Amino acid sequence: MKETVTTGSLESSDCLIRLEPSEQLEIDLETDVHEAFYEHIHTLISDTLEEMGVQSVYVRCKDQGALDFTIRARLIAAIERYRELHDG
Amino acid sequence: MARSYLFVPGNVPRMLQHAEVFEADALIFDLEDAVSLEEKDEARQLVRSFLQTHPPSQPAYVRVNADALARDFSILDGLPIHGVVLPKASIQTLASLREQLDGEEWSVLALVETPSAFLELSDLARDPGVDGLILGGVDLRAALHAHPTESGIELLYARSRLLMAARAYGIEAIDTPYAESDDAGFETDLKRSVALGFDAKCAIHPNQVPPLNAAFTPSQERIREARRIVERHEQTGEVRFSLDGRMVDRPVLEEAKQLLERAKRYKALKKEADDAD
Repeated sequence: MKETVTTGSLESSDCLIRLEPSEQLEIDLETDVHEAFYEHIHTLISDTLEEMGVQSVYVRCKDQGALDFTIRARLIAAIERYRELHDG
Repeated sequence: MARSYLFVPGNVPRMLQHAEVFEADALIFDLEDAVSLEEKDEARQLVRSFLQTHPPSQPAYVRVNADALARDFSILDGLPIHGVVLPKASIQTLASLREQLDGEEWSVLALVETPSAFLELSDLARDPGVDGLILGGVDLRAALHAHPTESGIELLYARSRLLMAARAYGIEAIDTPYAESDDAGFETDLKRSVALGFDAKCAIHPNQVPPLNAAFTPSQERIREARRIVERHEQTGEVRFSLDGRMVDRPVLEEAKQLLERAKRYKALKKEADDAD
């Protein structure tokens, strides 16, 4: 879809991030790691979106065991691409 | 000063997070050739995020893109890096880099990989901002229409010329990485780097790091010989004497002192003292 942006990969230690337009903030996280880390990653995504001033978008994150620095970097790169696509 | 510089692709998380353990003396996080054009923005964010949160214990460099310096430098601000590697180094790209550095006192290693760079090599080497020259053998071979040979003859002039410039201006001489996958070829290439006088060599695979560190560390036999030369000089004040039938004069004495300095830097002197105990 033209309005969708993707960053990252499904390689080990990486994650695939997809952003799509949405009327609200939605985070769809898929990860094989322990439930405790699920919350941690969810919060990391949520905090990064807030820090970047994003208020409405659909985020799909498929985690392949990525560390925080990777998830954050992939998300920031996705937001920048998304803004470039939508705001020019 | 390092013996090994390991290139780490900037857009591969698992390689970033494991880079430190391979014991390279220095790491070069690559935003240039190891990253496709479509992934440059992702690599910039990944390298920034990694270095902010996991600064490696060894000196970290970032290889920037000569044609996208402003974008690359936009993510380098405030990072705990030792320096940058400037690809396609030339007087022009060096001037552009200096603008981006904007007073930042990062070390600059100039990657010499074009025929035109060799025509202005003296100017590059004497630039006060440049701390070392790296030979970019793969790109240079392609530009020269040369092919890799076992003897390395196709790069002999470039290696020698780069060494001359580095030595003339007292900066580091770093040899091109061995880009093939065969161990025998790597060993031959490494011996050549050491014999020619390079200070260090780049590695593109972690497996290359241990032999590379070993090769650029003076052997215990050479350390013992250098010690005897320097001790004899210190005891007698002589600068010209015979030791075990070998003629020693000022250049040999200087070479011995330099070897001991290198051994000390790489903690090989302690090992020698331990052996003697």
